[in-house]
Amino acid sequence: MTAKREILSPPAAAPGTAPAAPASMAVRGGAFIFVSGLVAIDPQTGERRPGTTASETRQILTNLRQLLEAAGSSLDRVVKVNVLLHSMLEAPNMNEIYARFFPEPPPARTVCGARLPDGVKVIIECTALA
Amino acid sequence: MRDVIAAPLAGLDLRQHYGHHQSPAIRAGGLIFCSGMLPIDPRTGERCHGTLTSEAHVIFGNLKLLLDSAGSSLDRLVQVHALIYDSIEYDVLNRVYRQYVANGPPARTVWAAQIEAGFKVELDVIAAA
Repeated sequence: MTAKREILSPPAAAPGTAPAAPASMAVRGGAFIFVSGLVAIDPQTGERRPGTTASETRQILTNLRQLLEAAGSSLDRVVKVNVLLHSMLEAPNMNEIYARFFPEPPPARTVCGARLPDGVKVIIECTALA
Repeated sequence: MRDVIAAPLAGLDLRQHYGHHQSPAIRAGGLIFCSGMLPIDPRTGERCHGTLTSEAHVIFGNLKLLLDSAGSSLDRLVQVHALIYDSIEYDVLNRVYRQYVANGPPARTVWAAQIEAGFKVELDVIAAA
């Protein structure tokens, strides 16, 4: 049995924007869409949008919603989210914004603190039903 | 199709106790995705701080409750991410971990991370439904 593996391109990437890392933003495999760890970027230009934990969370989840919808999925089809924070002291600030994005019932989730590259405060990755 | 697995005991509802915007677990596509499992008293929701070993025992107990209630079990784990507070405790984790996944252990990655509330270990797992 060979399941299909399909690379999903970002919906609003500016023409000629090179991906920042040797990773696809999302890949469909089997029944699922696997989304890479997202950092806060301007979806038009692909440039970093550094800010507070709250503002980065908002930017990431706005981009994630757009990415999933362009792939025929949506935030209410997300099954699991992993959130990486530069400090666990910021977890409440992330959680408050996060709660505004995910409709009831929310997906399973794991949040942890980690050393993130390049001054990034939040990284969010997820698995959704295709 | 995406089903929520409810907390089998009130203490395991971290949303109710700690305001985490998350479901205990989600069943989808033949798999069960669990939220990060923490050493929480499954009846009261109180934090059970201790050694890595004692915390891991509580976590595996909670994981067993959750998976059994969802019609799965510890024998059906597919993938585990084990977060520990310091990689110096890697062997300590293995000692307790082995007792719960004796036969055909699941795929696993272990790394050091900052875990909420100063806990020493957290398990992030996917099981076959």
